[in-house]
Amino acid sequence: MALLSAKDREYLVDLFSKELENKVKLIYFGDSKENCEYCDLEEQILDELQELSDKIIVERYNVNEHKDLAEKYEVEMTPALILTLEDGEDRGVRFYGLPSGHEFGTLVQDILTFGKGAKPELSANTIEKLKAIDKPVRISVFVTPTCPYCPRAVLTAHNFALVNPLIKAEMIEANEFFELSNEFGVSSVPHIVINRNPNTFFIGAYPEAQYLEEVLKAIK
Amino acid sequence: MVHFDLGNISSGPKDYYDILIVGGGPAGLTAAIYAGRAGLTAAVFEKAIEGGAVTQTHIVENWPGFIQIEGSELGEKFAEHARNFGAELVNAEVIKITYDDEYKYVHLDNGKVVKGKVLVYATGAVPRQLNVPGEKEFRGKGVTYCAACDGYLFSGKDVVVVGGGDSACDEAHFLAKMVKSITMVQNLPYLTAAKVLQDRLFSNDNVKVIYNSVVKEIRGKDKVEEVVIVNNETGEEKVIKAEGVFIYIGLVPKSDLLKDIVEVDKFGYIKTDENMETNVPGIYAIGDVRVKNLRQIVTAAADGAIAVEHAAKKYF
Repeated sequence: MALLSAKDREYLVDLFSKELENKVKLIYFGDSKENCEYCDLEEQILDELQELSDKIIVERYNVNEHKDLAEKYEVEMTPALILTLEDGEDRGVRFYGLPSGHEFGTLVQDILTFGKGAKPELSANTIEKLKAIDKPVRISVFVTPTCPYCPRAVLTAHNFALVNPLIKAEMIEANEFFELSNEFGVSSVPHIVINRNPNTFFIGAYPEAQYLEEVLKAIK
Repeated sequence: MVHFDLGNISSGPKDYYDILIVGGGPAGLTAAIYAGRAGLTAAVFEKAIEGGAVTQTHIVENWPGFIQIEGSELGEKFAEHARNFGAELVNAEVIKITYDDEYKYVHLDNGKVVKGKVLVYATGAVPRQLNVPGEKEFRGKGVTYCAACDGYLFSGKDVVVVGGGDSACDEAHFLAKMVKSITMVQNLPYLTAAKVLQDRLFSNDNVKVIYNSVVKEIRGKDKVEEVVIVNNETGEEKVIKAEGVFIYIGLVPKSDLLKDIVEVDKFGYIKTDENMETNVPGIYAIGDVRVKNLRQIVTAAADGAIAVEHAAKKYF
């Protein structure tokens, strides 16, 4: 059975045909069923997405068979999805875990952004401050698929990553990576961890300016 | 079951819309539907997911036509309906509202400013806080206001639900399926939720209610470990071991962006006339954020219809 309804498919076909100006590459890393409970579903949703537009290219890799590539894209868990332009250059935008529920909307929104040249949709002030960052920053946004505040927390992080190559931003599905979530004390989402340091985090829906402030504070 | 929804995908706001709608709950989305029907352009600005607080409601059973529907599904249907009528759904937070003689302006957190002829304010209400020691400190470390968001993270754990109204009982029922046990703490000698919700709640054998009691303090080391409650008749204190505290003790209006511009009552609810218009011409308030007797999905939707019908005749 298809994961997307006929109605949603129709809507997306129309949306992608109007909005996507260039090709978008979705680079997927999976693993065997024993090691990755949700990989089958992720592969299926990627199949369905690919059918919606010829501007969406999906590349599929097994982490064990393509260690070099997995290393190149710094993949640490599966399922992993990395969004890039057609050149495959890593822009720091990642999803760990199935982008289901409300996070499917996040993925589609990201595809639209990459389909228009991967230009960050942020205020000039935010862009200026992000450009000035001169050390690596990793933004990990823990989410659940049923959390209505999470998509914006992920999209904001992803847009930050597009500004500065030193910034990487990842969605992490908290239920799927339960141990990791526990490690960072995640009990309310969105829970945003900076540089994988359990002590630099913030929780909840932040508008862009405050989100940026929290990130800057964490790396000071 | 795994589910994939469209969220609020948007191709981004244009510079102008006839009707600017702040808040994408049942009120705002109905306003957008009526705008579309009237041939007006409309944008709905929502910082979370379209559907508003409905999407966080476990089960809705007082929206006509559906004996029972999940809140998330109903919210999604509202969004789809508004989209079908041409509404632009914009996923952004409005941080300021201004106006001049001709236009209203919404200032978004991504720096964009969008102008419109009419502004419809439909931001609803947010959970009321307990204001007890530990609540702020342990927010995100066991204290939460969203069972739909965080429920699964408390699988197999003991939790406390504070409150006894419709939301508290509905969410407790939702949580009962995944957590180990629920202790509900209610300040009155009875629950105030609709009978059907109480019956459903008590069909779970891992739920108990402590009446006549209020939370005094939430304690723990790094995260919530226990909740101190006090009986408001005897003054007796009791400690409940729990890793999660879900708070559902009512709502406060989210009128902050308008409260210095239009008239509000002493609780912060926005005053309107029977057409939903505030004392500033062309600024309307609808749904839970305005002064009214009954705050329900169906009354929120009605407000949206009334406001836009009126605005369409008066301003276009």
